[in-house]
Amino acid sequence: MKWKKLGKIFDPTDYKLADNCVEYAQSPQALIFDDFVRIYFSTREREQTGKYLSHVSFIDMTKDFREIINISTGTVIELGGLGCFDEHGIFPFNMLRDKDRVLAYTTGWNRKVSVSVDASIGLAISNDNGLTFQKIAEGPVLSSSLHEPFLVGDAFVALYGDTYHMWYIHGTKWARFTKDEAPDRVYKIAHATSNDGISWQREGRQIITDKLGPDECQALPTVIFLNDQYHMFFCYRRVDGFRKNRDRGYRIGYAFSDDFKNWIRNDDEAGIDVSEDDWDSDMLCYPHVFNCDGKIYMLYNGNEFGRFGFGLAVLEDDTN
Amino acid sequence: MFRWNKLGKIFDPTQIKDRSWMKEFAQAPCTLIFDKFVRVYFSCRPLPDENGQYVSYAAYVDMNRYDLSEIIDVAQNPILELGELGTFDEFGTYPISVIRKGKEVLAYYGGWTRCESVPFTVAIGAAVSHNGGKSFTKLGKGPILSSNVHDPFVLSGPKIRRFGDRWYLWYVVGTKWLANNGKPEAVYKIRMASSDDGLNWIRDGRDIIESRIEENECQASPDVFFYKNRYHMFFCYKYALDFRNNERGYRIGYAVSDDMVHWHRDDARAGIDISTEGWDDQSIAYPHVFELDNSIYMLYLGNQVGRFGFGLAKLEEYKP
Repeated sequence: MKWKKLGKIFDPTDYKLADNCVEYAQSPQALIFDDFVRIYFSTREREQTGKYLSHVSFIDMTKDFREIINISTGTVIELGGLGCFDEHGIFPFNMLRDKDRVLAYTTGWNRKVSVSVDASIGLAISNDNGLTFQKIAEGPVLSSSLHEPFLVGDAFVALYGDTYHMWYIHGTKWARFTKDEAPDRVYKIAHATSNDGISWQREGRQIITDKLGPDECQALPTVIFLNDQYHMFFCYRRVDGFRKNRDRGYRIGYAFSDDFKNWIRNDDEAGIDVSEDDWDSDMLCYPHVFNCDGKIYMLYNGNEFGRFGFGLAVLEDDTN
Repeated sequence: MFRWNKLGKIFDPTQIKDRSWMKEFAQAPCTLIFDKFVRVYFSCRPLPDENGQYVSYAAYVDMNRYDLSEIIDVAQNPILELGELGTFDEFGTYPISVIRKGKEVLAYYGGWTRCESVPFTVAIGAAVSHNGGKSFTKLGKGPILSSNVHDPFVLSGPKIRRFGDRWYLWYVVGTKWLANNGKPEAVYKIRMASSDDGLNWIRDGRDIIESRIEENECQASPDVFFYKNRYHMFFCYKYALDFRNNERGYRIGYAVSDDMVHWHRDDARAGIDISTEGWDDQSIAYPHVFELDNSIYMLYLGNQVGRFGFGLAKLEEYKP
């Protein structure tokens, strides 16, 4: 794979955002319309305590990705009520067209005491072409289970045949890796299937092998079918020191599969890496790969997990 | 109509010495019957930490089968470890419900964790004992029943039963959190799940016991037993707010069913209420009914939800 970077295409600090949000445009994900592309992302409202609430917003771009023609001004999806799994944020937000509706798989965040957060995956539906979404329930569609004990999130859902496939992550461990620092978590990529998009059967195993050892963190899988194979891009990093240390931060990984079951990881073939000196020189994260009018694009975040926006790359060579 | 004869308090955790983890509370008793004794499981607490916060441990006391007021043994150690950092049961294992399966004993329990916007949430865990119920090993780091589209939060109070080849789990689910001027209180209702194997559960999200005293009535301890060809449920209920006030605290309710699906509530038939004075003169809660040597007994908590132990009543009369 070889990607040509097209640069940063959106900076949230250049715009007035809905829901009192001020910075961050994380995990950009595209929904294709006939004459424009809607890109959803999670942005942040800062509470008086200094903690953040993540809200979903979107921009509409021309299909050459040169011009922003619209930005959401209202609430796309409400955060959960008191005590709900998505009370403190929705991030990321993954869309899937399903007949006349648009489904969105949310990762809902709720704050804890001994560790910072927990997360579960919810489902919301839009009947107005993605302007607003209503949750199907107060509770999540995928949450902790016996062997996926916490931090269930980062859903990416695709329909192949009659089966819904979800790639997602779950936590495996919380630990204090650095003395005097808050606990950090380890998470891995997993897979589940469903006949209705609501009730899921977990495969129950880690599907992407570790490159950085057992404490590697793997996040945000995105899968595309090309040349008779399934291709997954994701991001991965060291478990601690990843916020400040360039060498420990997120990079984009890659794996491919013929059958959904066996994935062969080969990050050397990801075809995209940090820049020498630019908005994406410290880290690359939250990739979203999609087809628009026959071209394959990747949306992604750069430094500071997308605090100052997201960029785009186009696939130039699709051989692996 | 049931008529119970109260036999008095039979266990007081504040009388137990040399166990720093068992200082007060003996909550949600349930029984496992042996040849010579009856093992009564309950959840207890060490003294609170410097912030006044508790954890709770599962334990047991063995009572002489032929004289249920005689203590033969008390667990030397908690029978179940608290969960590791960030897991659902990091701060408590309460309540616990046990059942034999061949030579093993299975336990289902509420695992407690602490949250920021609400004081806690609960999910249901499962564990197995290979030593006759003296200690249990968890089936996984995560819960066996956690939030889903039907059950948004606070899944607690499991009561495990098997009728024929089918497994049943009665439990409670939080349906809302009341803000209560910054001191949130949960509203919770009784629900039922069923299973072929005790591991994979089917839930339908239905409140099976209608609320009587108020819409926000809180229901707990759904304890079902089969007797005289009908299914009988004793449970407890209270007002959602200001329930430390005697008039609004826990009382024992009753419902009856022929099919376990449709329940007819008729608290007047419970046949047990608070005493005019004594250890159970303010509230009675967490009933557990069991049959022993052709008699029917009820274990239950008195004032302060079992802070000073549990008592026993014997069924004197039942009129359908």
